[in-house]
Amino acid sequence: MKAIAQTRSRGPLVMIVVFGLLTISILHLLLTIMTSQSVYELSDLKREKRELDTTSQILAEEVASLSSQQNLLNTAAKLGMVANSNPVFLKIEDQEVLGKPKPALGTSSQSRNLVANSAMIDLKPAKQKAAPASTSEPKALPVVAKLSAIPVSPTR
Amino acid sequence: MNHAGPVSARRLRLLVTLSMILVFVFLIRLIDFQIVRAESINQESYEKRAVARTIPAVRGDILDANGNVLATTVYRYDINAAPAIVKPVERKIDGIAQVVSIESVAAELARILDVDVAELLPKLIGTSHYVNLKKRVDAETHRQIVELGIPWIFADPHHDRLYPNGAVAGNLTGFVGTDGDALAGIERQFNACLAGVDGKETFEKGVDGIKIPSSTVVIQESKPGRNVILTIDADLQYQAQQVLASEVRRLNADWATAVVIEVKTGRIVLAAEAPSVDPNDPGKSPEAQRGARVFQFAFEPGSTMKAITAATAIETGYATVNTQVRAPSSMRVYDHVINDSYSHPPTNWTVTGVLRYSSNVGTIKFAEKVPAKTRYEFMEAFGFGKQTEVGFEGETRGVLNHYKDWDGVTNYTTMFGQALSVSPVQMASAYQVLANEGVRLNPVLVAGCQDEDGNLTAVPKSNPKQVVSASTANDVMHMMEKIVEQGGIGQATAVAGYRSAGKTGTAEIKEGSSYGQYYAASFYGMAPVDNPRYAMGVMIYKPKKVWTNSMAAAAGYQKILSQVLLANRVPPSTGKSPDLPTEWK
Repeated sequence: MKAIAQTRSRGPLVMIVVFGLLTISILHLLLTIMTSQSVYELSDLKREKRELDTTSQILAEEVASLSSQQNLLNTAAKLGMVANSNPVFLKIEDQEVLGKPKPALGTSSQSRNLVANSAMIDLKPAKQKAAPASTSEPKALPVVAKLSAIPVSPTR
Repeated sequence: MNHAGPVSARRLRLLVTLSMILVFVFLIRLIDFQIVRAESINQESYEKRAVARTIPAVRGDILDANGNVLATTVYRYDINAAPAIVKPVERKIDGIAQVVSIESVAAELARILDVDVAELLPKLIGTSHYVNLKKRVDAETHRQIVELGIPWIFADPHHDRLYPNGAVAGNLTGFVGTDGDALAGIERQFNACLAGVDGKETFEKGVDGIKIPSSTVVIQESKPGRNVILTIDADLQYQAQQVLASEVRRLNADWATAVVIEVKTGRIVLAAEAPSVDPNDPGKSPEAQRGARVFQFAFEPGSTMKAITAATAIETGYATVNTQVRAPSSMRVYDHVINDSYSHPPTNWTVTGVLRYSSNVGTIKFAEKVPAKTRYEFMEAFGFGKQTEVGFEGETRGVLNHYKDWDGVTNYTTMFGQALSVSPVQMASAYQVLANEGVRLNPVLVAGCQDEDGNLTAVPKSNPKQVVSASTANDVMHMMEKIVEQGGIGQATAVAGYRSAGKTGTAEIKEGSSYGQYYAASFYGMAPVDNPRYAMGVMIYKPKKVWTNSMAAAAGYQKILSQVLLANRVPPSTGKSPDLPTEWK
C-alpha cells in the first residue's frame, strides 16, 4: 500500500518533467526554425547587397565615363558646339572690350578630342548586346532565373 | 539452488565489473577526444577542409584639387566554368520547365563575353573543375552572365584600377600592373597612402572541393587605402593637353610640356604633356611616353636662363635695369665664338634691351663681372641642380656642375642657359620666385593623404625662402613685360586685357658630342604682372615645321595662359608697365 501510495505521489512529478522536456523540445524546435529563417533572410540580404554594389559600380563607371572631359568634348561637338580658343572679355564698369572678337569657326584642332581614354564606355553597343549576335545561332530562351551572384570558382 | 546462487551472483558482479571497466575505458577515451585533445583534433579536421584566402584591401583614389576622380578601384571578374559538372540548363518559361542545350548556353556565353563560340565550346568539355573563359570582364558583363542562371559558371572577383579620364594627368597618376603593384607616378610614390591592409578569411570545402555555403569566417577585416589629393585642376590639365597635342601636330614636334604654378602657394595647377600615357592601357604607349617629362626630363634651357642671370646681377649690385652695354652680334671667348641668334651691328642696349632682344653677347657684357661662385649659388637658390620638393618618382636633378668645374667658356655659356640642364618644373619654379617678390615656395603637387574622415596627413610645407629682394624680382618681371609688349614672339603670348611677362628660350639639343639640328623651344613667364597669380612655361621639343624655333612655344603658351586666367576668373589688369628704355644713345 505504501509503495502504491509512493508511485501515485510521483505521478504528477513525472508528468511535470515530461511536460517540461516536451516544452523545451518544442521551444528548441521553434528557435531552430526561426534561426534558419534568419539565416536565409541574412543570405538574401547579403545577395541583395552584392547586387546593389554591382549596380552602384556599373552606374558609377557610366557616370565617370559620361562626365570625362573627352566625352563632354565629343558630345559638345556632336551638338554643333565649337571651341573658341580666343576668349574676349567685357569690362562691366567702362564697357571696354578686351581682345578682338573673332567667330569660332570650329576649325581649331581643339574642337575634337586629342587625349586618349580607353576607359570610355560606349553605352550604345552595351545595350545592343541584349540582341542575339546572329540568327543562325540557337535562339536563347528568355531568362527567368532569379538574379543572384554566381559563386567564386570552386578550385584553382 | 543454494550453491548456484552465490556463483550466479559472482558472475553477475564480474560482468558488472568488466562492463564498468569497459565503460571507464571508453569514458577515458571520450574525455581524451572530447576534452583533452578536442582542440587539436578539431583544428586538424578544420585544416583539412578549410581554405584560407586573402581579402585584398581596396586601394584609395587619386583626386584632383576639385575632388574629380583621376584613379579609382573597381571590381573586375574572371568568368570560369567547371566542365566536370557542365550539363544542359533547366529554365522555367511561363511556368513550364524547359531544357537548354549546352550548345545554346555556350552561344549565349560567347555573345556576352565577346568571344568565338567555336573557341568557347571545347573548353566546356572535360573532367576539370576549373577552366577560364574570359579574364577581367566588367560589372555589366558579369551581371549579364549572372542573369543566365547557369549553375556551372563561376566568377572570381578582382580589384582593378580605373582611370575615368584616361590620359588626363596620366603622366602624373602613373599606373599599376595587372597584379595590382604600383609601377609608376603617384601610384608608386604614394603607395603607402593608397594601399590599404589586406584582410584574411577562411571558408570550408567539401570532399568534392566545392565551397561549403555559409562557411566563410573573416579572420581579419581588410583596411581600405586612403586617398591622395593632387593640386592639379583636371579640367585645365585636359585643356593644356589638348593644346599641346594640337601644337605637337601642327609643329611636327616630338613632344611638348606645360607647367603652371600658383605664385602665392607654389601649388602646381597643371603639369601637362603630349603625347601622354593612358594609364588604363599603358602598354599602348611607347616606354618613353609612360613617365612624366615635366619632372623627369632635363634639357638645356637656353635664353629663359637670362632672367635668372639678370636677377643675380641686379641683386648683387653689378647691374640695374638701365645698365648700358654695347653688344656686337658675336664675341670671342677663349677659343670659342659666342653668337647672338641673329646678326646685328654693335648695339647700345640696356639690360632691359638685352633681355628684350635676347642677346647672348649682351648678357655676357652685363653679367661677366658677377663671380662664378655667386652665380652658382643663386642658381642653386632658384632651385636648379637638385630635385624639387615634389620628389616625383624618378625626378631629375638636372645638371648644374659646381662652379669650380666650369671652364672658361662654360662660365659664360651658363649665363644664357647652356652647359647646364633643367627640368620643365624647375624652370617654372624659378619663375615663381620672380613673380612672388623674390620668395621661393616649394612646388607642391600633392596636397596630402586623406583618410576616410577627411583628415589630411603628409601635407607638404611651402617653406618660403627669400632668394632675391622684392625690388630685384619686380625689376626682372617688368623687363620681361617689355618682351611681351614689344617682342615679335612675346606679343604672340599676350592675352588681351592682362599684363603678362615672359622670356623665350631656344636651346640646342645635344646629339652625341655635338649639337643636332633641332631645338627645344620654350616660353616661361608670369601673369598678371600687376598682381601675379601664375608662373608658367611651355616647352616644345624638336619642332620641325616652324619658321623660327623661338616662335614654337608662343601659341601654346598663349592658349594655355588664357584658359588658366579665364577658368580662375582672374580680373583683368589695371595700370601700365613702367617705362624702361631698351636702348641708349
